[in-house]
Amino acid sequence: MAEEAKFKCLRCMSEFCLPYTPGVTEERTCPNCMSNSVRRLKEKKE
Amino acid sequence: MADVGRHPNIELLAYSEVENVAGYVGNFTVTVRKKARYVDVKECTACGDCIDVCPVTAPDEFEEGLATRKAIYQPFPQAVPSAFVLNIDECLGNNPIACGKCLEVCDKDCIDYDDKDEHVDIDVGTVIVTTGMEVYDPTELDEFGYTRYENVITSMEFERLINSGGPTEGHLIRLTDHKQPKTVAFIQCVGSRSENKGNPYCSNICCMNTVKDCLLIKDHYPEIDIKVFYIDIRAFGKGFEDLFQRSKEKGAIYIRGIPGEIEEDPETRNLKLYVENTTAGGTDCHEVDMVVLSVGVHARADSDAIQKLLTLQRSQDGFFLEAHPKLKPVDAATQGVFFAGCAESPKDIKDSVTQAGAAAARANRLMMQGKVSVEAITSTIIPDLCKACGICVKVCPYNAISCDTKAKTPAVVVEAACSGCGACSAECPFGAITMKHFTDRQIEAQIDAMLEYNSQDKVLAFACNWCSYSGGDLAGTNRFQYPPNTRLIRTMCSGRVDKKFVLRAFARGAPIVLLSGCHFADCHYINAVHWTQRRVEKLWDELEKKGIRPERLQLEWISAAEGQKFATVMRAVEDLRQKVTPEEIEHTKKALAGVLEPPKPKAAAKKATEEEAAAQAAA
Ligand code: SF4
Ligand code: SF4
Ligand SMILES: [Zn+2]
Repeated sequence: MAEEAKFKCLRCMSEFCLPYTPGVTEERTCPNCMSNSVRRLKEKKE
Repeated sequence: MADVGRHPNIELLAYSEVENVAGYVGNFTVTVRKKARYVDVKECTACGDCIDVCPVTAPDEFEEGLATRKAIYQPFPQAVPSAFVLNIDECLGNNPIACGKCLEVCDKDCIDYDDKDEHVDIDVGTVIVTTGMEVYDPTELDEFGYTRYENVITSMEFERLINSGGPTEGHLIRLTDHKQPKTVAFIQCVGSRSENKGNPYCSNICCMNTVKDCLLIKDHYPEIDIKVFYIDIRAFGKGFEDLFQRSKEKGAIYIRGIPGEIEEDPETRNLKLYVENTTAGGTDCHEVDMVVLSVGVHARADSDAIQKLLTLQRSQDGFFLEAHPKLKPVDAATQGVFFAGCAESPKDIKDSVTQAGAAAARANRLMMQGKVSVEAITSTIIPDLCKACGICVKVCPYNAISCDTKAKTPAVVVEAACSGCGACSAECPFGAITMKHFTDRQIEAQIDAMLEYNSQDKVLAFACNWCSYSGGDLAGTNRFQYPPNTRLIRTMCSGRVDKKFVLRAFARGAPIVLLSGCHFADCHYINAVHWTQRRVEKLWDELEKKGIRPERLQLEWISAAEGQKFATVMRAVEDLRQKVTPEEIEHTKKALAGVLEPPKPKAAAKKATEEEAAAQAAA
């Protein structure tokens, strides 16, 4: 099972979870506006 | 097959596996492992004496397990070379004291239990991939009861049953009682055109295979009733509609609908098919003696290995992807590599033969010339700037670059293998690679010119030649409206778009930059588009660190067929542009002012001279 990570669409600014495998580049699409400008939100270190 | 075996210019390496392919068009070295056969091919006359004495029996793969073979056997009657092979894992003669019967009986002393695999290197100019496909295994489709009910068989098994060279010598029988069936049902699209199990695509050959099977049955056994359950019959080839009509005239009944369930009558072993009546509604039950599942095909399980060996591309369905669907339908993206047959997509014999002829002609054309012309867009290393870090070697999808990182000698590009994606140039941290016709200076000059006046009103977009730029063309020819302030810079691949181009555009006052390329599955440079994505992800981080909103750099994958998407994206990006304030643009210009400073004199001079030389060479 691939892990999930939080992503943010840089067009409509919505946030959502998508499958994510570290080190693997994948084509991603925003489920809200269909943009491919989808950026992974990195967890901020405490 | 026999002709191929006899041809003076063809060396046939049967029972062998390609283990490595090195080099490039015109200069491939293929390493082949000739597997140990344990039988001397030159001496063996396939007399069959060994078969008579071999005590081991195993399921015959060629007969789909409907018959048995011995541990020493000929894979199938027409096999070339016409010689036996010994399966050493099944053979007892591994230990001659235990058996060794074939060794004793063979007059020609062909058997050698100590035979070893042999590796050979073959130098070739071109490679044609004809690795074929695999047939879908319908066991997972529980509703059809394959392997649970013996009288449910696949079309491949049926093929052996009706074949005069098969285990029943062509007599069609049920497997449970060995009697001739009275009714046979065919179920179409098993493992094809399904989103749930099997494959979503049409396997292309199954409809006509069933039509052929119906005609075969009706020719030999006119009394057998045939029912074909289908979604729609795809009889689109030359003469195919005729055959389809003939099978109907001969009595085959075609029923629209795929059975949802099959049940076996435990006494008669007959099969009850429950299927929706698409005309009258409700569910019908059809009782038949035998069911043939018309199974689809899929890409070979070992396609990954072949893909890596030859740096090939694959489409979403798993089959190998041609360089261009219309203009280069038998060429791989890697120069000098071609496809024929089902390795590229499911197809019938006629199409396979046509494609094989085309692939042979394409390969021949290259080899007759004795030289290749490469497009004048390849990469060039500037040795003085190269630090031999080896990054470009990892980046190049075509393995066109070599670099001895230990000896610290500058990288070398094999131009014949380079396709000109430009990913290496964009990734080289030392600016040591320039692209002919797409030099840094040329692209930077375009950025500067486009943003010279009223930069705040422009949307600067980088578009790859094959997909996004063509998508833009399509939007234009279809009259899809998009904002007129879009300024496009064409590169061969989005992988060419260097980080410094994006930063330069922002430093020149661009409110928004769009980077667009092919969808991952369509990338014309195998996987160069992955580098684009990685670079953009890093750029978003970098922009954010500099206090620039990352959303000002947009990323979109637009195919050549997506004119509509191109227009939609451009409108959306224009909306984003309108939200960028003049203050923001000014802040960005200041934050990135360093980007516009000329590079160090020595490096700049070197690069300029090399780029000019490259431009001249290209011209
Ligand atoms: S990435 Fe650049 S510096 Fe590194 S080896 Fe390749 S050309 Fe040389
Ligand atoms: S331009 Fe592309 S294909 Fe050519 S050497 Fe660079 S990465 Fe390889
Ligand atoms: Zn979105």
